[in-house]
Amino acid sequence: MTSYGTKIKAALLCGAMTLGGTSVAHAEMEYQQVSDLLHLVMSSDRTVYTRMIVNRLANQEGVIKASEHFEDEKALVLPAQMFRFGAEMVAEETDAFSYSLLSLWPINKQNAPTTDLEKEGLQYLVDNPGENFYGEEELGGVNYYTAFYADVAVAEACTSCHNDHKDSPKTDFEGGDVMGGVVIRIPME
Amino acid sequence: MTRTPLLWVVWGLITLFGVGAVMAKLYVGGDRTVLLPGQTAGAHHQLEISCETCHTSDAFASQAKVRKDINKTCTTCHKDELKAANDSHPKKKFTNPRMAPYWEKIDGRFCTSCHVEHQPEITGPMMVTLPGDFCVACHSEGEQDIRVDRESHAGLTFDTCASSGCHNYHDNRAIYEDFLVKHADQPWLNASPVIAAAALPTAPQPENAQAIEAYLASVTVKDADPEILHDWASTAHAAADVTCTTCHAPEDQAWTDHPTQEVCADCHKPAAKTMALGKHGMRQHPEIAKPRDAKKTLKSLGWKDAPEALITAMNTYLNDPTPPKQMSTNEALVPLKADAHGLDVTCSSCHLPHKEEPQHTAVSACLSCHDDQHSTNYPDSPHFALWQAEMLGDGVPGSGVTCATCHMPQTEKKGLAVTNHNQNDTLRPNEKMIRAVCLDCHGLGLAIDALADPALIANNFSGQPIAHIESIDWAIRRVEPSGQGANQ
Repeated sequence: MTSYGTKIKAALLCGAMTLGGTSVAHAEMEYQQVSDLLHLVMSSDRTVYTRMIVNRLANQEGVIKASEHFEDEKALVLPAQMFRFGAEMVAEETDAFSYSLLSLWPINKQNAPTTDLEKEGLQYLVDNPGENFYGEEELGGVNYYTAFYADVAVAEACTSCHNDHKDSPKTDFEGGDVMGGVVIRIPME
Repeated sequence: MTRTPLLWVVWGLITLFGVGAVMAKLYVGGDRTVLLPGQTAGAHHQLEISCETCHTSDAFASQAKVRKDINKTCTTCHKDELKAANDSHPKKKFTNPRMAPYWEKIDGRFCTSCHVEHQPEITGPMMVTLPGDFCVACHSEGEQDIRVDRESHAGLTFDTCASSGCHNYHDNRAIYEDFLVKHADQPWLNASPVIAAAALPTAPQPENAQAIEAYLASVTVKDADPEILHDWASTAHAAADVTCTTCHAPEDQAWTDHPTQEVCADCHKPAAKTMALGKHGMRQHPEIAKPRDAKKTLKSLGWKDAPEALITAMNTYLNDPTPPKQMSTNEALVPLKADAHGLDVTCSSCHLPHKEEPQHTAVSACLSCHDDQHSTNYPDSPHFALWQAEMLGDGVPGSGVTCATCHMPQTEKKGLAVTNHNQNDTLRPNEKMIRAVCLDCHGLGLAIDALADPALIANNFSGQPIAHIESIDWAIRRVEPSGQGANQ
């Protein structure tokens, strides 16, 4: 827990020193900068996994399938699961930040928005393609800086899986569509 | 001094003495069972004497810290079990701040939200201390409203979720929706009903009578019992060059007629490890707290340089009792035979020390103690008949079903059968037995129905289940006619 927490705090401190002030506006910029950078890493890793592993092996070459029951089916982990497992592993190491992959049309209902800000942010991403959404919210007595980033269908594997799944509330996704959003939270105290 | 002030002084002194005595019991040492706020649940009574196994916080830690620390200790023993179960509600699912609204309903970050100890009055099946309809807290509103999400669940009440044979909070490996669909068409009995792991070769044994005779001729042990020697010669131990002194005088120690089970554990580490996870051997678990040391206790309370005389006195008169290393059958909370009381449960309780006798190890040893209906009906069951047939050579290896087959299931490792010595591992909830054992011979539908039928369990599966759990039917209805996968 210490190492991750220290890194985040160091990043925030560096941001504060660079900006040379502690005003509210600066602080919010620091949170935004940190979350933007975190998202860049998450998004890149996930896109690489989706395109170069799942889409290539499961959809293009057909040598192995991807399944949510990857252990029973001896299959690849779904990109959304890969992302969630990473988020859970981070959560076991630090509470300095957390992240999740949510959608207005989730196959797994636990990934539907639960807070008011999640509903607002996810809708904003759909209505404003190419833009992010930032806000603050109080959860469990703690104030969080919460950032939303569009989760776009980057490969055929994304749309085919969601469109064909019987539990999917939306079955007409196309490549490039916003399918949901990555939500990053950083506690502000 | 008048009488009233004197009485006040006496009362004050008595009170101080009483408080001091209680504090000494709590924080210094001694048998503290008198201070138990209530009986512990399940098999935890076996470690009640070692309070610090669960209560690891400092004496004056905050309530939040105490809760965190106690919950950590749950996983010191149950971590592997939860991991193997592919836990459906792991702690990590609830730690994200977005789950905060759920924390107010049932806080899934803590085991103690559902399993409160020392509360026998409210402890139900699976050691749950919430009302039986606890699923309602999170699955009855919004996107999570299961009655809206599943047409088949529209008229169901929440007290049936976990009690019907359909769902478990932690372990749903054998009853998740896609698994039900995948195994929906299986017949009640497979074409080749054999326990795959039990059919695997065991450790090498002497090949024939000549090999045994050759072994006996090579042994020169003074005053050895010929019968014991002959039994020993036919064992895998003998084939592996294990000798009398290996166990009776290990590492050049003095000869003992009764080796401890630590000698067995020296070689059979996986067996010892799994044994310590079950009721039979949990007293051996390495995380059970050792008796407290007076010096360390005083140090933790801030008295770093307490006089040696005081420490000695405390260790002499107030030290914690040492927990016994074995469970005694006297402590068992299940029905046992009258002549089975007063026995320590060790390796040799089930394994004859000088002879390999599967009938004894896998059946007779169990039935020599256990006296519940399920156990006493076993000799009249079809499973026992299959075992007898296998023993007589009329059944193929792995076709017999013993007590150990189901309660200490075997798995394959490097081509050999490895036995899980945690006899609780497949018991609660009993659906844990489905994938580990039942499906080797039976279809999923039969297995689910049978394990949800208490009468059938009591008569040891002599007959077909009366109850029918509709989970497979409902799962099939959701995927027909498309044949698509269903969500877990």
